Amino acid sequence: MAVARRIAPAPELAGLFPRIAPQLPGGGALAEVRERAWRRFLEQGLPSVKVEAWKYSRIPQQVNRPMGLARPETPPAAVVREALAGGPHARRLVFANGIAVPSLAHLGGLPQGVRVLPLEEAIARFPERVAEAFARIEDDRGFTDLNTALCRSGAWIELDPGVELTWPLQLLFVAMGGEAAAMTHPRVVVRLGEGAKLHLIESHVSGRDGAVFTNAVLQAEIGEGARLVLERAVMLDADQTLLDEAVCELAAGARLLANGATLGGGLVRGELEVHFRGEGGEALLNGLYVTRGREHVDTAVRVLHHAGGCHSDQFFKGVLDEQAHAVFAGRITVAPGAQRSDAYQVNRNLLLSDEAEVDTRPELEIEADDVRCTHGATVGCLDPNALFYMRARGLAPEVAEAMLTYAFAAEVVERMVDADLARKVRRAILRRVPGGARLETEGLLEEVPA
Amino acid sequence: MAASTDILREITEREYRWGFVTPVEEELVPPGLNEDIIRLISQKKGEPEWLTEWRLQAYRRWRTMEEPRWAKVHYPPIDYQAISYFAAPKQKERPKSLDEIDPEIRRTYEKLGIPIREQEILAGVAVDYVFDSVSVATTFRKKLEDLGIIFCSISEAVRDHPELVRRYLGSVVPPGDNYFAALNSAVFSDGSFVYVPKGVRCPMELSTYFRINAAGTGQFERTLIVADEGSYVSYLEGCTAPMRDENQLHAAVVELIALDEAEIKYSTVQNWYPGDKEGRGGIYNFVTKRGLCKGRRSKISWTQVETGSAITWKYPSCILQGDESVGEFYSVALTNNYQQADTGTKMIHIGRRTRSRIISKGIAAGRSQNTYRGLVRVLRGAEGARNYTQCDSMLIGDKCGAHTVPYIEVKNPTARVEHEATTSRISEDQLFYCRARGLSMEDAVALVVNGFCREVMDELPMEFAVEARKLLGISLEGSVG
Repeated sequence: MAVARRIAPAPELAGLFPRIAPQLPGGGALAEVRERAWRRFLEQGLPSVKVEAWKYSRIPQQVNRPMGLARPETPPAAVVREALAGGPHARRLVFANGIAVPSLAHLGGLPQGVRVLPLEEAIARFPERVAEAFARIEDDRGFTDLNTALCRSGAWIELDPGVELTWPLQLLFVAMGGEAAAMTHPRVVVRLGEGAKLHLIESHVSGRDGAVFTNAVLQAEIGEGARLVLERAVMLDADQTLLDEAVCELAAGARLLANGATLGGGLVRGELEVHFRGEGGEALLNGLYVTRGREHVDTAVRVLHHAGGCHSDQFFKGVLDEQAHAVFAGRITVAPGAQRSDAYQVNRNLLLSDEAEVDTRPELEIEADDVRCTHGATVGCLDPNALFYMRARGLAPEVAEAMLTYAFAAEVVERMVDADLARKVRRAILRRVPGGARLETEGLLEEVPA
Repeated sequence: MAASTDILREITEREYRWGFVTPVEEELVPPGLNEDIIRLISQKKGEPEWLTEWRLQAYRRWRTMEEPRWAKVHYPPIDYQAISYFAAPKQKERPKSLDEIDPEIRRTYEKLGIPIREQEILAGVAVDYVFDSVSVATTFRKKLEDLGIIFCSISEAVRDHPELVRRYLGSVVPPGDNYFAALNSAVFSDGSFVYVPKGVRCPMELSTYFRINAAGTGQFERTLIVADEGSYVSYLEGCTAPMRDENQLHAAVVELIALDEAEIKYSTVQNWYPGDKEGRGGIYNFVTKRGLCKGRRSKISWTQVETGSAITWKYPSCILQGDESVGEFYSVALTNNYQQADTGTKMIHIGRRTRSRIISKGIAAGRSQNTYRGLVRVLRGAEGARNYTQCDSMLIGDKCGAHTVPYIEVKNPTARVEHEATTSRISEDQLFYCRARGLSMEDAVALVVNGFCREVMDELPMEFAVEARKLLGISLEGSVG
């Protein structure tokens, strides 16, 4: 009667690793790490809805089916051009179905002490260090182990102490659907030395529709006093699935600003895990999802205050239309002894349709007393008073609604750092919000995103 | 902060005052659970065949179920075969009047501060006393009967009002609802039954006092309250148990049904033995409480002050089925030493324009763990539903934990759901402010904690508010009256 907590991997998936292991980059230590991860994956399987963190998620069932591994491709130039962000000086790595496309990389003129290379190159040059990094994160999701075992590309980003990369670095992931469903497991490793600074942009766009399952893992170690800005925009097609986990470790005084926006994708789950390992760290996490159709967007944020005196702030908003389903699970954990922790969390949702659904679960787990932790969550529709006010001033109902909805979503965009990316996100919001097009064409916005 | 530390010590290390054992002769069935034991319980209570069968069905269901493990509580496995499922003070017949009650039992209630006579006369509260497994006395019955209100033990209700019991028993908490509800359905011994007829406003608070006395037993009472159209009833429940090194299981089920425009107010002061300072002994309080707002414009309000039990696992809930029905949950949960509480509520919005309000105050001290776990679910058809939730936690000391786990599921765009929560320690500024105005540290702490809980305390009926405030270990000087 009881549903099992774990889903056994489909036979095709379960038999995959032994077949392809010889073709995966890296031998020796890395092969051992992969092997171990795979064994754990087979033992644990995928999380079912009985696992609390996956209670509202259909993703594990959806992706547990025969899928080939993605092959190298070249994405259409127009798609790449359209998705460029970070300004004229941005450096860039482009991936097609999670595999680096060397011809589209732009990494020239990087300052001394900055190393950015496709992961396969890093594996070729220093496999032990990559193996050591891979082995560092494992959890009970199953998907991280799957990534470790099957990963063949990604990025290795390393900044020496005190070094700052003044231009943004963009990782552009283009999903290229084909006749058969394909999966890919890119891995990004970020290491910031003491006092280093980096602005990283991660874009996920679709280059061709068709089922692609991207199981991405990003791991960042942010050294003492270092700062990472991590901005992410997801604009995928309805038949594409993205599972994106970011695990950030913050040393004393380190700072993280993470901004995310999901504006398209059949099944998207963004996981963000922040560990404060030293005192005085700061993490500002902002997120937006604007969903429609039958999209399912799942956001899981875990902030763990292991050390005292750190500050975290989560600000997540969502707009749901048609039959969309959004899930937000944010957890703040304050470990025993992590005194003077300051942690905030807000999740606000706007429901536009009778058939949309939102499930939100803001959690606090506090084991120290000298703390200040709050969270708030709301679900509702547009404020009738505000609508009335605008209509009384002569705005058509459709326009008034579009304006309020746009303003609701734009509050998150205002916190974005990169102007290019913010503009793209604003445009995507206008395309997705009912009546958004009118706002644009009738010049009703103060600042129209170009 | 020396003075405040002393107060904390006093609060957290205070002896349990209700820990005595009453030397009354008890009738116990042998420990263990099987179909024969269930038949024996049913037979002892002279139950009709359908109820015996109902119990057996529940038992068979229970055997296929797993004990829930999702709550943030830890305890060694319970040996369900080591528990005696029925304990009753020996008596030949049901007493005709209160004078016939075993004097020892009466003394017990007097020690608990509820002298049956006095309370009857002074407070005008009708009380049902449940001693271990059976109800020993119900007061004020005659007066209530005149109004058509039925207030009796559930065993009597089965005998005298079988049609009502049969119709509503298990209708809100079905036997297979969860592990502990199934266990209760199989072995429940006694509890209270209330029926308030159409249009009647119950003129006094109805009250049940639960007491676990015998060793090696569990208590499995069952309460069923039905408020017919347009009626009103306020019901109070209190509980204590002796101090023992063993853990005793209390798995109760409470079902409330409110028909059109009816209102039920259910208040609990839970003070089961919490165990000693080292975390030895104490009651496992695994309780299923649920109210069904069946009729339109009906209302169910839960108020609870949880200070006792080694472990609390309890989520008084409301199913808001009738249009414009209202559900409320007001809770104070105080844990200290090694106590663990995982408590909260569920508000299920089904009907249109249903409203719910949740106010939860958790106070954790010592090495305790205090969790609020709640669910607000708005179904497709619950147009214009409204929920407001506020969960505040206060930490006293750095060895305890306070956790908040709310689930919010919304499927209707016209619903408005708000949740907010805070966790912090007792405010230094507020204490300083009070001290600067000449309050002793003790009074300052009392004032601040009292203010923290006030929204909930205000919901308690007067008789209970007094007891609850005492239980929180803090006086209310200057704030009432």
